[in-house]
Parts: sequence; C-alpha cells; structure tokens
Amino acid sequence: MKKLMPSLVMVAVSVALTGCMQSEQQDAKVTINKNPYPSTYQTLPQQTTLIKNATVLIGNGERLDNADVLFVDGKVSQVGQNLAADGATVIDGQGKWVTPGVIDVHSHYGVYPSPSVESHADGNEMTAPNTSEVWAEHSVWPQDPGFNAARAGGVTTLQILPGSANLFGGRGVTLKNVPSHTMQGMKFPNAPYGLKMACGENPKRVYGGRKEAPGTRMGNMAGYRMAWAEAAEYKRAWEKYDADYAAGKNPAAPVRDIELDTLKGVLDGEILIHNHCYKAEEMAMMVDLGKEFNYHSGTFHHAVEAYKIADMLGENGNCAAMWPDWWGFKMEAYDMVEENVAIVDAMKNSCAVVHSDSGTTIQRLNQEAAKVMYRANENGFALTEADAIRWITSNAAKSLGIADKTGSLEQGKNADVVIWNTNPFSVYALAEQVFVDGAKVYDRFDENYQAQSDFMLGQE
Amino acid sequence: MTLRNKRFKSSLIALALAAASSAHAASVAITNAKVHTVTDAGVLENATVVIDNGVITAINPESVAADQVFDANGKVLTPGFISSMNQIGLVEVSAVAHSRDADAKKADITFDPSVAFNPKSSLISFTRKAGITANVTAPNGGDSMFKGQTFAAKLNGEFDSVFSAKNGVLVALGSESKGSRATNLLALTHKLEDAKKALDKAAKMAAKNGKDSKDKKEPKRSEQEINALLKGEKPLLVYVDRATDILAVLELKQRFNLDLVLLGAADAPLVAQQIADAKVPVVMGALRNLPGSFDSLHVNLANAGKLDKAGVNVVLTVDGDSHNAHQLRFDAGNAVANGMDYQEALAAVTANVADAFNLDTGRIAVGKPADIVLWSADPFELSTTVEQMWIDGEQQLLESRQDKLRDRYTTSSEMPRAYTK
Repeated sequence: MKKLMPSLVMVAVSVALTGCMQSEQQDAKVTINKNPYPSTYQTLPQQTTLIKNATVLIGNGERLDNADVLFVDGKVSQVGQNLAADGATVIDGQGKWVTPGVIDVHSHYGVYPSPSVESHADGNEMTAPNTSEVWAEHSVWPQDPGFNAARAGGVTTLQILPGSANLFGGRGVTLKNVPSHTMQGMKFPNAPYGLKMACGENPKRVYGGRKEAPGTRMGNMAGYRMAWAEAAEYKRAWEKYDADYAAGKNPAAPVRDIELDTLKGVLDGEILIHNHCYKAEEMAMMVDLGKEFNYHSGTFHHAVEAYKIADMLGENGNCAAMWPDWWGFKMEAYDMVEENVAIVDAMKNSCAVVHSDSGTTIQRLNQEAAKVMYRANENGFALTEADAIRWITSNAAKSLGIADKTGSLEQGKNADVVIWNTNPFSVYALAEQVFVDGAKVYDRFDENYQAQSDFMLGQE
Repeated sequence: MTLRNKRFKSSLIALALAAASSAHAASVAITNAKVHTVTDAGVLENATVVIDNGVITAINPESVAADQVFDANGKVLTPGFISSMNQIGLVEVSAVAHSRDADAKKADITFDPSVAFNPKSSLISFTRKAGITANVTAPNGGDSMFKGQTFAAKLNGEFDSVFSAKNGVLVALGSESKGSRATNLLALTHKLEDAKKALDKAAKMAAKNGKDSKDKKEPKRSEQEINALLKGEKPLLVYVDRATDILAVLELKQRFNLDLVLLGAADAPLVAQQIADAKVPVVMGALRNLPGSFDSLHVNLANAGKLDKAGVNVVLTVDGDSHNAHQLRFDAGNAVANGMDYQEALAAVTANVADAFNLDTGRIAVGKPADIVLWSADPFELSTTVEQMWIDGEQQLLESRQDKLRDRYTTSSEMPRAYTK
C-alpha cells in the first residue's frame, strides 16, 4: 500500500499539470539573442567620387576599357563612359586599373597577430575536438599591424577564422578592413557567421597525440557525426519548444548550450561552413556528411586536391578556396597543381576562390590570382583578368554570403574599390587608393590615409 | 576543359628537349638574345652566347661555330637564379619525419648535411621550372647555436650535383625563448677568442721551433671549423635580426677578420651604413614586412632597396617553406616594385648569391659555368615563363610531378584516372 502511494501522487500531479496547462499563464518566451556583439561599424568620411578613364574589372567577368566609376553615398552608382556628377571628387584613372575591393575568406589577423608572441596566440582553442562554442571575434586584436598592411594590398573585407586543430574550431567573423579600436567597429554588418571545421591531419595529430579521439581520419568522421546528431536533437528540442509555446502551452525551454547553438545555426541555414579540407576523398565525404545531416557543406579551404573533384564541387554548389602554389608542407598538401583554381573554375556552377591563410600573401592576393591565370594559360586555358579577378572578389563574397553587398562594381553594391597603378596582374602593380563604402581608407601617396596600429606608434 | 591543344604543343617541346639533353657534349650558340650578363658588361642586345663542354666559351664572337644554333628571338637571357637558405634536397614533405634530413638534435658546427642530399627530390624539378639553376641548402640544426654547414647544388637532378659542400658555418643569434641572447653571443665570442689565441700560440711556437715542432696536436674537428673561419676560408653565416645584434657581429667580423654574411637582418636599415662599410652582404626575404617579434620591428617592403642604395650587397631569398623557393623571381619583382633598382634585384638573385657563398656561377661571362635561363620576357613578371634552361651547358627538362598530375586530371578517359600516365 505504502509502495503505491508515490505513483498515485505522480499520476495526480501529472493530471493536474495537464489539466491546468491550457489555462495557465505562459512564462515569458525564451529566445536566443543571435547577435549579442553587434557591429558598431560606421562608414568613414566619404564623398561622391568619380574615377575617370580607367580600365575597370567589374568582378562579374566583365572588363570595361576607358571607363568611369561613380560612387555616391557609399554605393556604386554607375560604371560606364562619359559619366559626370555634380560636386564629385574626380580622380584621373588614365593608365590605371580599377577593381572591386579584394576579399580574403581565410585570415588569422587579429587572432594570430604580429608580434606573434605567446600572449597573442588566440586563434586555436586546442582543448577539445569540438569547440563550436568559441567565436574568433572574441579573440580579435584590432591593433594587429597586419590589417594595415593588407589594406595597402587592396583588401577591404576579410574573414577571421579560428585555427584548424579541432573538428569544429568555432565561429569565424567577417570584418571590414577599416582601422578600429574595437572588433565591433570592424564587424561587417549583417554578414553571416562562418563555422570553421577541419578535416584530415590536424585534428587527428593534435588529439591522437594526446591519446584522445580522434586519432585517425575515421575518428574525425565519427566526431563530426556524433556532434551533428546531437545538434539535430537540440534543434528538434527548440522547435518543439517553439511549437508548444505557439500552441499556447507553457513548455520548459531546452537548456541553453552555446556549443550547440552554433551547430544549430548551421542546420538552420544561418551559419556557413568553412571547412579546412585538402584532399579529394575527404571533401567528397564532407559533402555526404552535409547530406546526411541536411546542411550545406559550404566552402572547402586549402582545397589542394579540388581539381580531382572539380565536377562534384560544381554539382553540389561548393566553393573551393585555394592557394595558387603552396604545397609539400604535409602529406595532404603534396598533390598540388598550379592550375588547381583554373580547373575548378572551368566547371559549371563553380565557385573558385583564391585565399591566403597568410599574413604575407594576403597583401598580394592579386599576384596570387595572377600566378594561377598565367600558369593555366600556359597549359591550355584561356583566362582573362576579368575572369581571374572574381577569385578574389565576387566568388570570395559568395563564399562568405555577402555577394549581395560587395565583391563587384555593380550598381547598388558597397563602393569597396581599389585603384591600381597598373594591371593588377603584374608583379609591379601597387594599390594606390583603397575605398570601403565609398570612403578612402588608404592612399599610397598621402600619409593622412596610411593608418598605423597603436603597437607600432612610437617604436624606434 | 578549354583549349587542350596548347599544352600538347608544349609536351612536344619537352620531348625534343629530352632528346637534346642526351646530346651531351654538343656546343650551343644562343643567338639574338637580350643578355643580362650581371657583370660590368651590363645588358647586351642581340647578343650571342656560346657554350661548350659546360662552360661559356664566347660572348659575341666574330663568327659562330657551334653544333647547335638556338635563335632566342630577342628574348631575355640571364644567369640561372640561385635560391638559398632553404632545405631543398633535405626535406621532401615538411611534416613527414622520415622525409627530413635537415634537423638533428645533436647537430653542431661539424654537421654537414650535403651527404644526405637527394637530387631526385620532387622539389628540384619544380624549383628548376622557376628559372633556378642552383641552390644553397641550409640545415636547421638542433640545440646548438651552430646549426651546421651549408652546401650548394646544381638543380639538374644528377647524383653529382653538389658542387660546393661545407661552404658556410651557420649560427643563430638573437632572442631566446629561454634565457638571454647574451649567452650565445658570448659563447661565440669566446670560441673565436680561444681559437685565435691557440692559433697565435701555435704560430709563435712554429716560428720559434721551426716547422717540425713536435708538440703539434691535431685540433678537434669542431676546432678546425672555427680555425677555418678565422683564416677566412669560408663565411660565418649569422641569423640575426635586432640592430644591436647586427652591430655585435660586425664587431666580431672586424676583430677576427671574418668573412661574415648576415641572414634575415630585419633591423638592417637602422645600421645600413655600418653594414655597407664592413662590406657584409645581407641575405633577406623581400616580402618580410610584418613585425613578427620585438627583434623585427623595422621590416618593410622597401628594405631591400634601401640597403642596396646604402651600398650593401643584397641577396634575396624566399622566407618560409622550401617548397616556395620557386617564388624567388616574383619576390625580386616585388623588391623592384617597392624601390629596388632592377639590375640590383637581378644581381640579388644571381651574382650576389654566388659571391656571398663563394660559388663559381651566377654571371654570364666567358669561363663561367653555363648555368643560363632563357625567359619569354622579364623574368620577374608573373606572366613570364622559362623557355629554356642550361645547367653546366646541358639543356634541362622543364617538367615536374605537378605537371603530370595536372595532365592526369585534365585528360578525359573512360577508365579511372589511375590509368592516365
């Protein structure tokens, strides 16, 4: 008898709960603030600007000779011949080339800044194979002198990613390359977050070396699948909560999990995958992984073997972010070909991107693209500057989910613009003036437009 | 894939070259070339260079007599470029321990990695394609501040391609993760002092007792290397960045009459005049412009040009992984874009390298080894390609493993790629 008591009580309680649920006052709806560190970016002082008679690479595959570029209120207003605008600052573009601002989809500026001293190693949370809860933006040191160096190379937008030790390294952040003393002051408004994932040698080396999982490539795959399965459940729990609440019930909200928030963001299509993945067979598996858990596998970074699966990447709508010629530093980088980018680019529905992952080459992404173009043309391709510029402008913007805002000099896009002293595919090319949202942020001949980080100020 | 036919043409040329290189002893006259001699003769238009038996035998002879005549069609002929301070031939894949021979925990001043050099490394054919005919390979060393000795090899892939072994003693000075930079600097100074004293003493004894002095003890191998430095038989190559360290080693040079070469030298512009006055070459990366440490706050893209203008002999090298050595010509182009004189930049990847490491190559002059490159245009430009190359007078095959991989994946076949060779 006594034994029965508790269950009877339970039944009574649950009946009571169910009974009153419909009529009970609902608790406040639990919602997650998806933008708790919002951009405070403000356009720098800008004015109506008209560049006259330049060679213009639009960034969409088109080239215009002797053309004018007009930007008004920070947006590209017109590109064409014989343009005029009242009160515009007119720049003589004779002999010069104009391109969209350069975009690097893979940078560690700010999280691995200069000087690269112990206190500055903030880019790789090497403490667990899944650190989807960390956000690169929380590590960014805006005083990294690299930002200024890259601006002199025409870089107007860059994605800062966590490193590649982990299966899930954390969130990346897209920044406008403007000087600021806060990260929020650089944050690209409304750019989607990226989730850094890593295939291959790094995760298995870092954790296998500690006798932890993953220690093999199959361990890598198991780690991703376990995490996505958990994320799928978390997503279902929230969806159930939302549905129950909408139905007038007063459900308990799922326990908040910062790590799973990021993975759920991917499953919801709000966060884009940026996957460090060199090898053809691994990229193919990552595509299938995305299909298994119903998300898009995004952009493959350091895709040294993309040329082996170029058709599959196109069919699946993946971008591949590549170096022109880095190789040999590990086995997964051994099968480099100098035409990799061009082979990927030649496919239908392709999205070939040239990236740096380097504080040095980010300053010369135009030359990186040039190397690919010329080596490919020596070997049977017929690529032009208008084609190749897309690898560091519009395709990069597409990879970051900001192609509606920047990446080409089309009407209405942000006036992110570079004026080069000559053909940017020459080794002698230098960016002379760089604009972000129509505001001049760099001028090679005017020290007033050459920013210097706090760190370098007053160093003798 | 677009336009496969052009590549087909280039493989025909490659076949022709393979045939040509078997005609070993043939003399060749390259006519109608724009020749950058990198000597006082300067740049010669429409010039003829004759090579025979591996050596340049004539420039602009009155009449051309050669087994083969090669019309350069006005294109640019330069000495082969020389890359340096990398691990080509010692490291195949950087992260694969069993493919690395440049590191050794116990390496010291006697470490001579030339005996481990692999002329068949896949880096060599790839690097050669970038107009580089010779390389100065440097060990990474180990715990000692002496990282070992450098050696030079021609990049022709031959088993006898090392042509200058043990040609420089490598030392790393500067900031330390544990301890003080003073320790190594003092240790080096004391080693030189002690060896100098011993040599002076031996010389006195010899003068006093005559040549057949009995107390002569054979010096240890490590002592012999220090003695070689004191006798100026080979350069002391010092990795050093901060200006104070540069000044300290310049003082050592003066005090012990060393053949000194500075490597890295981030702060060099602060003490450019002292370096120039001491006639010390600087081996540096042209693209280094981020302040990576407190020892390198003065790196700048303009540094190569600044040093050159101050009268320093600059040698350009590619920083970072050996697999990137092929970038050398583009790095030189960037140095020019940032203010370096064109001809000086050319010297910085040819003659100046040869001079710094005492190598007999790097110039187009009668009597020099025929290490020569014919370029489609300006060798520093991204659009330019290497059209022909001769190393010790032999025409080189310009194809790498990378080319074969590209061809495999751009050739259509019904069978799996593995069947396409």
